[in-house]
Amino acid sequence: MEKKKNGIVKKFLSIRGMGQVVTVTIGLIIMCVIFGILSPSFFSGRNVGNLLRQIAPILLVGIGQSYVMITGNIDLSIGSVLGMSCMISATLMTKGISPTVAVFITLAACLAVGLINGLLVAQFHLPAFIATLGTMQTARGIAQIVNNNYNTDAIGKAAQGFRDFFYYGKLLGIYNTVWITLVLFLVFNFLLSKTRTGRHIYAVGSNIDAAGLSGVNVVATTVKAYLVSSFCAFTVGLITCATAGMGTMDAGNMYEMYAVAASVIGGVSTLGGQGILVGTIIGAAIWGVLQNGLQFAGAPVAMRNIVIGVIVVVSVLLDVIIRTGRKPKLKKSN
Amino acid sequence: MLRAELLPIFVEKVMRVQDYIVEMNHVSKTFPGVKALDDVSFNLRAGEVMALLGENGAGKSTLVKVLSGVYIRDEGEVKIFGAEQTDLTPKKAQELGIAIIHQELNMCAHLSVTENIFLGREIRRGTTLAEKQMNKKAKAILDELNININPKTIVGDLPVSKQQMVEIAKALSMDAKILIMDEPTSALSSKEIDDLFSIIRKLKEAGRGIVYISHRLEELQHIVDRVSIMRDGKYITSMNFADTNMEEIISYMVGREIKEKFPRISCKKGKKIMEIENFNAGRMVRNISFDVYEGETLGIAGLMGAGRTETTRVIFGIDPKESGTVFLDGRELKIHRPIDAIKAGIVLVPEDRKKDGLCVNLSIKDNICLPNLDIICNKAGVVKRKKEVEMTDNMVDQLKIKLPGTEVNAATLSGGNQQKVVVGKWLARKSRVVIFDEPTRGIDVAAKVEIYNLMNQLKKEGIGVVFISSEMPELIGVSDRILIMCDGRMTGELETAAATQDKIMMYATKFENKMEKSK
Repeated sequence: MEKKKNGIVKKFLSIRGMGQVVTVTIGLIIMCVIFGILSPSFFSGRNVGNLLRQIAPILLVGIGQSYVMITGNIDLSIGSVLGMSCMISATLMTKGISPTVAVFITLAACLAVGLINGLLVAQFHLPAFIATLGTMQTARGIAQIVNNNYNTDAIGKAAQGFRDFFYYGKLLGIYNTVWITLVLFLVFNFLLSKTRTGRHIYAVGSNIDAAGLSGVNVVATTVKAYLVSSFCAFTVGLITCATAGMGTMDAGNMYEMYAVAASVIGGVSTLGGQGILVGTIIGAAIWGVLQNGLQFAGAPVAMRNIVIGVIVVVSVLLDVIIRTGRKPKLKKSN
Repeated sequence: MLRAELLPIFVEKVMRVQDYIVEMNHVSKTFPGVKALDDVSFNLRAGEVMALLGENGAGKSTLVKVLSGVYIRDEGEVKIFGAEQTDLTPKKAQELGIAIIHQELNMCAHLSVTENIFLGREIRRGTTLAEKQMNKKAKAILDELNININPKTIVGDLPVSKQQMVEIAKALSMDAKILIMDEPTSALSSKEIDDLFSIIRKLKEAGRGIVYISHRLEELQHIVDRVSIMRDGKYITSMNFADTNMEEIISYMVGREIKEKFPRISCKKGKKIMEIENFNAGRMVRNISFDVYEGETLGIAGLMGAGRTETTRVIFGIDPKESGTVFLDGRELKIHRPIDAIKAGIVLVPEDRKKDGLCVNLSIKDNICLPNLDIICNKAGVVKRKKEVEMTDNMVDQLKIKLPGTEVNAATLSGGNQQKVVVGKWLARKSRVVIFDEPTRGIDVAAKVEIYNLMNQLKKEGIGVVFISSEMPELIGVSDRILIMCDGRMTGELETAAATQDKIMMYATKFENKMEKSK
């Protein structure tokens, strides 16, 4: 009986990338306890609801970035695609187009950016950093130009259903934003861990030559990862639009970096081939808890930025130290 | 006729020719698991070209690296200009006048010829670079060698042959007295080889000693004075080139007895499975045609860089081809990408398992299943865990892969077991032809035998086996028919019964006669 239990724990820990996830989860719990002591209302139902709603967009862009990072690349265009999604959908709705149609047009525009990113990187062999830096600028420009360089007016009564669906509505006492995020997480987690496409994504990031020789279509796989990233940014763009009730041109500014932070804290390797989305949840949660908790503790915005910056570096550094610190010990015991 | 005032110069020259400038005595070097050099002695006189010959892995590069201070010898003495060198480092070797002209050129492609020549030794006037002076000096060195290059040219814009000459010029600018050239002609055309040889002759006249490593035995006659032959890390012999001939050199190079026993099985040669017709792709794949039969292991021999790996890459659809057709069981295949070959039933166990074979930070299970996801997944592309585990366990059992668990990273396995994983990922699917490219490189004897047995097993099952190897004993021991490649061409075909190492070597060094002067 005990042996079986041991087996389950062992099996759990042997899941790819679970090691760092466990480490950062412990960090997350410690953080929650500290904030709970500092300000007891941190754990109030109202705040937990808000917290989840704060974490959701970071998790979504984090999922997209994790997909791309596991293929060994990076997507800097996430924030701009988010802004594009927010502005295009809002502009269309203020022009009297039905929210459903607006959403689909926006989706097409965002996926086009993902497709271009993927092709530039995989088909034309541009460094991902450069390719997506270019699309980042371009997409931000599009976000600015769709409404002649102005934020949009309020999207109005006709779009109330849209706002409720993405932000204000609740189901079983939990905000819709959280539900949407949860569903997308489950879908993308399944896709990454249980399907052929997912295996191909890991293989491309781990060893692109070996993957190609094993019959993996490297171009298609990379494009798929970038499409997922753009889709996630698109979704967050709609949520942002629903939240504000209007389109803002600088929506999503810096989100590509928050996405990198969530992925990296959660154990996704910048070198590709490693990481799991469960880790990205924890990474996004740490990001959200810090924002929220420091706000509760009365820390100024500048302070929050400094703390989050330090946490990103420290969490990765800790992981490196733990990993390289363990290896020599193992060798000695041999 | 000798004028009195020339006598001292003459005497000096004779002296220089007589004295050894390099003496290596009883040098040994052991790497974990291999004795790379075993009691090797080697010497070089000023003003001579000494060819250092041997098969792949004979220890030539190791010897040269000991001489240039890259490796530290375990035993033996190295004397340079008569002085014993105890702690030779690359820097010290350079100061003593030793320079290596590498097979792969080591230059900064984005810098100019002058900048490369003076890299790390820039001449400065105050704090600024004395560019004019350096350009002038570079030009003088190039002129001395009759090399017609503008020293301001960017090195990356020069053809390979010229880059090599710049490297020689760089060596001379450091006043190198001992030049080591590793396969200097492998990428050159006949005209360029002529130019190189005239430079080598000039260097010789100037009293510099040259160690010349090459597989192209034909070209030795134009420049070489003496040859030293190595085999399996041991010194075999050295002699004056004038006193020997090709046959003798080859027999010294390959004269190893086949001690190991190879698990050969004989099958009835069946029908033709695969037909490769007139493959062409660049310089390394020229007019390659061969057939693969049921019940037969087809060996492909050749020296490193003979074009064997390139040929398999083209067949498998990794690299593009200029022309060529593949027939499998009489049907013509259109292969544009690896997936086309895999689907048709041709698989390749690649040469470089770290680079092309394994995803080292993925699990063993993921590695074995990667090319077989089409079998493991359902129509929607969802991985069936049960099938996945089944396939992995099957392969682990069949290949006797020793591992702590199928979920651990492939990086944690030993070389032999990693190789088995690479083989396993291809055997898990039913194929018609399996191409093994150097499957036994860097793995231990027991693992080698298991790979041979596996090839025999496939042969028995009627699957076409193509076995590429640089080690002649195992090729002769395991294959039924051997094709030999050299320089991108098929130069010979032998039934194993008639194959000897000498014969294979003869074909493997049958380079095209680039030199007009050779017969």
